[in-house]
Amino acid sequence: MGYQFDWSILWSGQSGGWLLQGLLTTLGISALAWLLAAVLGILSGALRTVPWKPLRAAATLYVEFFRNVPLLVWMFFWYFGVPPLLPAGARRWLFDHHPEFWAGMVALGVYHGARMSEVIRSGIQSIPKTQFEAAVAMGLTTFQAYRLIIVPIALRLIVPPVTSESLNLLKNSSVALTISVAELTFQTRQIETYTAKAIEALTAGTVIYLALCVGIASIMARVERRFAIPGLIARGG
Amino acid sequence: MKRILAVVLALAVALSVAAPAFAETTLEKIARTGTLTIGTRTGSPPFAFVNKQNEWVGFSIDLVEQAIAPAIAKKLGKPVKVEKKESTPPTRIPLLSSNAVDLIAGTMTDTRPRRESVDFSVTFFVTGAQFLVKKGSPIKGIETIAGRRIAAQQGSTNARIIRERVPTAQLREFPDQPAAFQALVQGQVDAFTNDGIQLYGLRAKAPNAADWEIVGDFYSYEPYGMAMRKNESDFRHLVNVGLMEAIESGKYFELYEKWFGPRGEAPYPLTPENKRFLILQVVPK
Repeated sequence: MGYQFDWSILWSGQSGGWLLQGLLTTLGISALAWLLAAVLGILSGALRTVPWKPLRAAATLYVEFFRNVPLLVWMFFWYFGVPPLLPAGARRWLFDHHPEFWAGMVALGVYHGARMSEVIRSGIQSIPKTQFEAAVAMGLTTFQAYRLIIVPIALRLIVPPVTSESLNLLKNSSVALTISVAELTFQTRQIETYTAKAIEALTAGTVIYLALCVGIASIMARVERRFAIPGLIARGG
Repeated sequence: MKRILAVVLALAVALSVAAPAFAETTLEKIARTGTLTIGTRTGSPPFAFVNKQNEWVGFSIDLVEQAIAPAIAKKLGKPVKVEKKESTPPTRIPLLSSNAVDLIAGTMTDTRPRRESVDFSVTFFVTGAQFLVKKGSPIKGIETIAGRRIAAQQGSTNARIIRERVPTAQLREFPDQPAAFQALVQGQVDAFTNDGIQLYGLRAKAPNAADWEIVGDFYSYEPYGMAMRKNESDFRHLVNVGLMEAIESGKYFELYEKWFGPRGEAPYPLTPENKRFLILQVVPK
């Protein structure tokens, strides 16, 4: 292979600053999208199990609609499709305040919220029906039973799959570069533009994603241990 | 866990180091497979794009099929088929380095930093960057873009120049022309900057061509070359021979007329200066 490696391009010139900027944008968009996904996921996941059909149907519609269309399409939808529907004043304001960031964030959050919802639903459904019945027998309303008993237990059960889903969200934030969000992958391409050293730049991006994901996974493993209810879940190790 | 990681990394490194051992030269590869694989564009009319009949065509593609491939075929003494793959500014150099394609034939500007990674053919087209705006826009050129939202193509030389010369302009970089143009149509950006000729091509294909105008003097110099892997002078020589023979025989100008003539995809008359520059690149037989 006639390719000469030159790793120094990663710390000479502006590369370091770009990577840092990209990293901050990736973290920012992912954190906000994660919050949105968590709220939508918990809400729709819980609604899919409640004993009232219209709510179940609405939640099912949301999940199936948003998770079954590619994320790239959602990016284009929120960036190109939504602004023309806004009133002119709001549109002008948005265009001056990084519409690509907000469109990307909403696309990621809503898409992953639908996927998160399924994880949460499976968590809730793994709780024996008798728990819910016992809660109602104690005099709790359905809402209270969900808020105080069902959802707190479900959230503890689903930490491992939610971790996977969160890591997916972080990595999927790179799709936002298609609508000009200057996140980490975008910045590695930027370095390539200036130095024509694509392999080095992509390697730097890969290492940063890997480090981020391993870091998040280990934090989540700690969260899982910290919040486990003793005696409730059988665990190895 | 750590041990597994170490094994995986070692394997990856071993593979990437071992690969070159099986490497053959580009010319040997073409002789063996009978195929010249080019990396080109799908959305850069009239150089390389998918037309209304859903065919992948363009000026750069014609140059390869009608000038370069025949030169290689003549040398190898067997027919050479041209295979096209999509390449974008950020992917074209990696595609070359990984042997996925043998030649980049699209709209790649020859620059000094790029020459550190790849080799270029002689220049086959000369243009410079301008701005595409809605008719009546206050933007008249690079002097009037301060504070404005400007779309550019990711990984292009234009974005780089704007960042350096007008740091207050708000750059929005898109991976391809259609997305950047869509952002302009919607008013998300105030102008789209790209190499002038590409803007002419884009405007020619836009639904309401008369609504758009191309403004500003060239604020950059963009000589297009075809890129290939470094240090393969025999292959590069054949690419250059193909291009030089086309310029010499007039084939080049025929193709120019087909794509950039009055009835072409994007009318763009060849200036006497550029014509002379092309001819001067042809070294004697």
